[in-house]
Amino acid sequence: MSVTLDTPHAPPPRLPAVRWGTAALALAALALAPLFLGNYYLHALIIAMIFLLPAHGLNLILGYTGMLSLAQGVFFGLGAYTSALLAMHFGTPFVVNLFAAAAVAALIALPLGIPALRLRATSFVMCTLGFVVIAQTVAKNWTDLTRGDMGLSGLARPRIGDIVISQIPQYFYLILAVAVLAMLAFIALIRSPAGRCMVAIRDNETLAESLGIPTWTYKLVVFMLSAAFAGLGGSLYAHYETVVSPLVFQMYYSNTILIIVLGGGVGRVPGAIIGSFLFVAVTEALRITPELRLIIYGFVLLLLVFMFPQGLAPLVERGTEWLARLGRKA
Amino acid sequence: MGSFILEQIVNGVITGSMYALVAAGMTMIFGVLRAINFAHGEYYMLGTFGAWLVISKLDAPYAVSIVAGVAIAALIAALIGRLVMQRLVGAPFQAGVLATIGVSLILQNAVILAFGGGYKVFEGGWIEPVQIGSFGMAQQRIVLVVTALAVFAGLEWMVRKTRMGKAIRAVSQNIECCHVNGIDVESVVRRTFLLGTALAALSGVLTAPVNVSVYGGMGESITLKTFAVIVMGGMGNVRGTLIAGILLGVVEALVSGLIGLQYRDSVGFVALLLMLMFRPHGLFTQKARF
Repeated sequence: MSVTLDTPHAPPPRLPAVRWGTAALALAALALAPLFLGNYYLHALIIAMIFLLPAHGLNLILGYTGMLSLAQGVFFGLGAYTSALLAMHFGTPFVVNLFAAAAVAALIALPLGIPALRLRATSFVMCTLGFVVIAQTVAKNWTDLTRGDMGLSGLARPRIGDIVISQIPQYFYLILAVAVLAMLAFIALIRSPAGRCMVAIRDNETLAESLGIPTWTYKLVVFMLSAAFAGLGGSLYAHYETVVSPLVFQMYYSNTILIIVLGGGVGRVPGAIIGSFLFVAVTEALRITPELRLIIYGFVLLLLVFMFPQGLAPLVERGTEWLARLGRKA
Repeated sequence: MGSFILEQIVNGVITGSMYALVAAGMTMIFGVLRAINFAHGEYYMLGTFGAWLVISKLDAPYAVSIVAGVAIAALIAALIGRLVMQRLVGAPFQAGVLATIGVSLILQNAVILAFGGGYKVFEGGWIEPVQIGSFGMAQQRIVLVVTALAVFAGLEWMVRKTRMGKAIRAVSQNIECCHVNGIDVESVVRRTFLLGTALAALSGVLTAPVNVSVYGGMGESITLKTFAVIVMGGMGNVRGTLIAGILLGVVEALVSGLIGLQYRDSVGFVALLLMLMFRPHGLFTQKARF
């Protein structure tokens, strides 16, 4: 077979096995983490896993349909407020709050998405940034519902069956379970025919449309799904912190989610995972102040734009390929 | 009621000239780079902080602080222009968005880290009232409007008559032809960026005595309002920006006076959204220019 520049290099045959193996190892390490790590480090891991959910959402909309949205923080905050309000006013159980948060975020994404998704490129980014500002204004001023700057505090601890989740290790397993389930859902989604249609829209929207893919509907559904992922994360955050205030709508959240996805590598499943552990868990574990952390994020963004436009995931992928080759030789 | 509305309109024109000054810079940068500067409000903040610094630490008079504030912001902008902005020539739009968001994070949080996140009082400015007809107005507000008009007249002259202005127009029309004709595109980008950010800083220093409070996060809302103004004015259209800025200022003042102060900051967003939806090419041009 002749080899030209555009011949895709064949992946080693054992690559899937090595990938699943790496994933299983990482999962096992996480599952055993509470045996070895103190509560503070578990807290850092919990925060990273919570941020993983909105990051999956951004990965979906940016990596699979190519739209750069700064509104993930808005849906994260909406999920947090939905959970908090439901738990405080109706005493609904944790699982109900979790799904309600996802549903409310997706429902609010619908009227926001209809105008916003008609915009392209920079206009879309400006518009989603506007949503963040509006969300801040509403959370601060609709005091009847949100209690303004005072925020909502004293949420009941989540209950699963008869167990009340109150200890850090218990939270760790609960959030690990939700994060793994959400990740599996994400993988199932992007491997489905719908996922391939999304990639087609990202790569060439006009061509996709000419093949009969309803691109507009797809973009709207993806926007809603990404909001639902963010809502799930927000709900976990509210139940973990037990306090929700307008601060959840700060740009900090949207920026962190952006860094996770871009730093890890857009449009790759391991990307968001690597990104959230590297940029959230590590900075949290090192007790870096928020200001310094945002300065680091700023430099990371500049490095990503000018030096590593693919993020870190390609490095990891090369690593797993190397492992797979190594396995074959042995 | 009539005089109340008139007063709101006058206040709106003053705030609007401030928006227009900031936005003129952003729209010029967009013209040459085709990139929206998400860090633009941070230069407004830097100018204000620079002036606050020389007033509170060195006891400098306000006039000196204007020069110092703009100079400090311009110095930082010169560095960023060289390291970041000039590399964005011909880059995809996402590179521009992400790089300028990165710059914004660095500048804003470096200031908060250095000076604390709390509100600071800006002491200084020409706040003696001047009596015009039935109502008085602080000198500072008159200075602001007059400066804005003078700056716009100067920009108009520069863009039409000077070599620099012609180069800016050339770069915003066709970068390849500029390369062919020996125009140093990167240098034009750097200088336009410097000019644009200096205008933002100037606007910051001039409004500081009116707003009184100074804090590290103040640039964020300015950036968003500037988006609304440049989209209304038509991206890259300097003259449109003046009218759009004043329009936004007046509508904001009327909304805050007649409906409620808390809705003031939503006006810019609603204007931005409506413009992007229905007239993405701006209020004053018939066709999309970009």
